[in-house]
Amino acid sequence: MTARDIGAIAAGNLRRMKLRTTLTVAGIVIAIAAFTSMVSFGTGTQENVERQFNDLGLLSTMEVYPRQRSNEPEQEGMPKLDAAALDQFAKIPGVLIVYPYDPFTVGVRCGDSVIETRAQSLALTMLTTKLFSRIRAGVIFPSDTSKEAVVSTDFLKKAGISTPDSALGRRLIVSVRVSTIDSALSRVVTDRGRPIWDRFRKIRIDSLLHSRPYLLKTLRVEANEAVRRLVDGYFNARKTITDTLVICGVIEAERMGRVRVEQILLPLATGQRFTTSGMSSNPTDLFAAMSSGTLFGGGGDRQEKYFTQATLQLDPRIPWAPIKDSIEARGYRTFSFAQEFTQIQKAFIYLDMALGAVGLLALLTASLGIVNTMAMSLLERRREIGIFKSLGADEGEIRILFLVESGMVGLIGSAAGVLSGWIITRIVTVIAHVYMRREGIPEVQLFSLPLWLIALALLIGTGVAVLAGSYPAARAARVDPVEALRND
Amino acid sequence: MNMTDGPWLRTEHLCRFYRRGPQEVRALNMVDLEVGRGEFIGIVGSSGSGKSTLLNLCAGLDTPTSGSVLFNGTPLRSMTRKELARYRAKKIGMIFQSFNLISHYTALQNVEAALLFNDTPRARRRDLAAGCLSQLGLAERMSHRPADLSGGEQQRVAVARAVVKQPEILFADEPTGNLDEDNARQIADLLKSLNRAGLTIIMVTHNLEMARECAHRIIRMQYGSVAGETGTA
Repeated sequence: MTARDIGAIAAGNLRRMKLRTTLTVAGIVIAIAAFTSMVSFGTGTQENVERQFNDLGLLSTMEVYPRQRSNEPEQEGMPKLDAAALDQFAKIPGVLIVYPYDPFTVGVRCGDSVIETRAQSLALTMLTTKLFSRIRAGVIFPSDTSKEAVVSTDFLKKAGISTPDSALGRRLIVSVRVSTIDSALSRVVTDRGRPIWDRFRKIRIDSLLHSRPYLLKTLRVEANEAVRRLVDGYFNARKTITDTLVICGVIEAERMGRVRVEQILLPLATGQRFTTSGMSSNPTDLFAAMSSGTLFGGGGDRQEKYFTQATLQLDPRIPWAPIKDSIEARGYRTFSFAQEFTQIQKAFIYLDMALGAVGLLALLTASLGIVNTMAMSLLERRREIGIFKSLGADEGEIRILFLVESGMVGLIGSAAGVLSGWIITRIVTVIAHVYMRREGIPEVQLFSLPLWLIALALLIGTGVAVLAGSYPAARAARVDPVEALRND
Repeated sequence: MNMTDGPWLRTEHLCRFYRRGPQEVRALNMVDLEVGRGEFIGIVGSSGSGKSTLLNLCAGLDTPTSGSVLFNGTPLRSMTRKELARYRAKKIGMIFQSFNLISHYTALQNVEAALLFNDTPRARRRDLAAGCLSQLGLAERMSHRPADLSGGEQQRVAVARAVVKQPEILFADEPTGNLDEDNARQIADLLKSLNRAGLTIIMVTHNLEMARECAHRIIRMQYGSVAGETGTA
């Protein structure tokens, strides 16, 4: 008996028992549709994450932090993340671009809106990386010195600008209030119109010479007053630096992992005017300058500036692990998106397995249907099996015939199940997209049905069906022809 | 008659016992039989005398408790299951009292089924089956299912199925048992003509008259043993 004969006989038997075959196939269809749609959801989610990682170039991005966390006490010998460190990173083979995360608070007037937000100055080379590639409208600024700015979609919401296109060409008056030691010192000399010598006049000079307690008291009072005036001058007599820029582009504000896109991105040289003219109003900057002995040495000197984070763009052709090791060996902490992605992929494998297991449970139930169908078929066809054996069929041929029948049920059910699963995912996608559009969420493909999943579903469906048919097939093969052909 | 010198099929001390509850039933006990090539043997006896058991053992459908069946000198006992299946597929044909046609097959498909297992090329099967049915006067009935055929026609289809593969021995188990007189006569004539054409036939029957008319030798069985043998020629 040839394979074609076995196929023809099996197909004929299934056609003959239409209702029973249909019901058994329906069980497989439901199970495989559940399996396919569930694993398809897991695969779709994985592909979405992968796509976002790739679109943002995260797989070739590495974040570097100082070993010492900001909330930990300072320890001696811990390397700082400063300009010199960034220069060292840039020399590591495979590192293409290095830039610090150095945001600052700005006041922005845009039309009638006055907004306080955060800005970051970036070199043109940094903006050409994938991290900043999600331009919604316009272009990035043409040079590091141009008087233009790129704003994020979050900024548009704050400023009440309805569409990205309508933001282009608008003027931004950007101002930064910086504290300088000059303003603090001038406040020591003159406070609220009262010069310091007015106070000196009130001091009894003769008592200073004869009364030691009076001398000490006067020194303490005046020292306190001088410090009060210095601090007051530092925090309240700040200098305002203003610049007028034009919005040239709008960037997507979507946050991805640890990548931060501030609401206003400025050209490097333009932004440096704001960051090198003084210190921020943050008290820690003041104390840092005092403790490092640079309070009167001109704050904002780049050599003295420490960063909390730096971003490295890596050559995607070079493995990231040695670069990570090299930086960590220098005493810094790193965060690699590529490493994170490897962990995410593992998590997705577990997710797919969990989702697949639910579908396989349904398949297990359906397989009982196959056992039942084939066992019924065996009972009904005992005589036919006896006839075949009397005509020369051996046990193997009878077994194969039954296995092929159950395999056909599995294959037809699996094929229809994959199709049904695909239809289900399409329907859910359409509904989800309507919801996403209504909620203003960017549309994403929730499901993915790759070829390997189709092949896997067909293989599992057919395999389980063959397995389920193996017991009835073995019993069919063992049918005693004498008993089967007995006249009664 | 076209008999050869040596026996074509032989049984040696053939026994078939089986248990029915606590009791041992001796369906066949020490049967020795020799059948020459081209012979027509009639086996007669009452119900339960072991006629069908003997036939099943000779056809390789059943396994003896002891003793052996030798076909052309080869003991069936020495054959593997696969070889035994090949023996049934190529060397023998079988006819049953209840026809044993596959009910959802047409007459043509039933006859073709016999060629599934003997390596006949797929393209030739239909021609051979159709030719055989035509020779037996069933050209107009090829597409009919067994339920649409008379008893005689069904048995002729069964004969066609048995002989289409050109077997060396035909085993007929009560071939006329379910037929009326006219149809029984037709089947008997058919078997005689097949034997005249050289086919060795072993026929089990209740009908002594028919056995006398068709067979060269009649073997009478009783209680699982050969009770006697008579020649008819």
